[in-house]
Amino acid sequence: MNVSVVGAATTKFGELWGVSPRTLAHEAVEGALADADIAKSNVQALFVANMLAGPLGGQQHLGPFFAEELGLPVPAMTIEGACASGGLAVHAAVNSIRSGQYDTVVVLGVEKMTDHKPEDVATALMGAGSNEERLAGATFPGLYAILARAHMEKFGTTFEELATVAVKNHFHASLNTNAQFHNTLTVEDVMKSSKIADPLTLLECSPISDGASAVVLTKNHKGIRIIASEVATDTIGLAQRESLLEFEATKEAARRAYQKAGVTSKEIDVAEVHDCFTIAEILAMEDLGFFPKGKAAAVIVRGETTLGKTKKLVVNPSGGLKGCGHPVGATGVKQIVEIVQQLRGTAGKRQVAKARIGLAHNVGGSGATAVVHILKNI
Amino acid sequence: MISPVKIWRNQKKIASLVGKTGKIVAFTLIRVPPADFSNQAPYPVVVIELTDGKRITAQLVDWDESNLKMGQKVQTIIRKIFETGDGVIPYGIKAKPL
Repeated sequence: MNVSVVGAATTKFGELWGVSPRTLAHEAVEGALADADIAKSNVQALFVANMLAGPLGGQQHLGPFFAEELGLPVPAMTIEGACASGGLAVHAAVNSIRSGQYDTVVVLGVEKMTDHKPEDVATALMGAGSNEERLAGATFPGLYAILARAHMEKFGTTFEELATVAVKNHFHASLNTNAQFHNTLTVEDVMKSSKIADPLTLLECSPISDGASAVVLTKNHKGIRIIASEVATDTIGLAQRESLLEFEATKEAARRAYQKAGVTSKEIDVAEVHDCFTIAEILAMEDLGFFPKGKAAAVIVRGETTLGKTKKLVVNPSGGLKGCGHPVGATGVKQIVEIVQQLRGTAGKRQVAKARIGLAHNVGGSGATAVVHILKNI
Repeated sequence: MISPVKIWRNQKKIASLVGKTGKIVAFTLIRVPPADFSNQAPYPVVVIELTDGKRITAQLVDWDESNLKMGQKVQTIIRKIFETGDGVIPYGIKAKPL
């Protein structure tokens, strides 16, 4: 059973003080349905991706909440997998069509984070970590800083190389009208910004954001086909892993996705990867098989994954989590929206030339969940 | 609020981890802490490989800059985790340099 993305839309990401989650959901879902030219009456199920509406907003049960709000009286459910909620919801939606249960479904990823104090958001996000990590006073910047330190120690990765990831992704975001940030950065800007968790600085961390994204999936449709949808998990805490130098879940999900899609990492033209922190993009580049372990940072510095500077793979043309913003439940769905627009050739100023095969990589926690989707313009 | 029942249930686990020695295999210095830890920052959070091979994540206390290095020897101790003002004061595992 083939599953295709026939509609895709995203709201602007950012500090959207005047906009409610309901309004965000309307804009994303109605945008995706209009894009697909599909009436609401043809939608058979709604998958909602969200992490923080419960702990921060006091609202759970988001399936019927948004089904009612959107006028979609269909089976509806929430999928939660921390920052991988969006990718997981797309995975669940794909499988619901493959199983024969539904023909046409909508996936909505939505998050409202800026209504709340940053320390409360940081505490709520640590719900994705282990109890041991919470009692240690760790934060997500802190956990990724530990990974950065291990990578620097083993491979000689430098502060400048880490900073370059943020510089590249802000450049891409400057071309994306829906991105949270449109300012470009220098390596010096990134390195001189305040330290959050050594060695990571403020400008190496994805922001707190509001936003929603939606896709419409149907069976046996031409257009942008999802040729692989794979999920893998690992220990929830970092210390319990054999290695701090890689995300085994990313490697496993990618290995299965390439196998099922019948493509190699070399055939990917455009990728949206989970750059919640600068080190995360370096790990992703390596764990997805684009570059050998320990070699990705230098490649990024040489501009070999930057739009307009390479004829090969472009990484995070949307601006990624760093530049486009990271409303956690929406991010994994936004990655699919971006890949769909790239493969259709409708990405405007940030269009990757001749993009035919795209990959989306979404991570939950510090690598405990990884989701890899591969899409192709048939 | 942290549940006193949960703290009680975790006593055996805490007891099994106290007084162990090991070395730092990765570390960070948290400067922007979660709400409950706001009066403790900046503080290091480290991954420790204990001598029995088991790895844990813990906060480092009684530290100075010279302790923030790979291979630094540490010992696990019982310390107050944080104090939130709601009446429950959880104690648990932290680590100090040797």
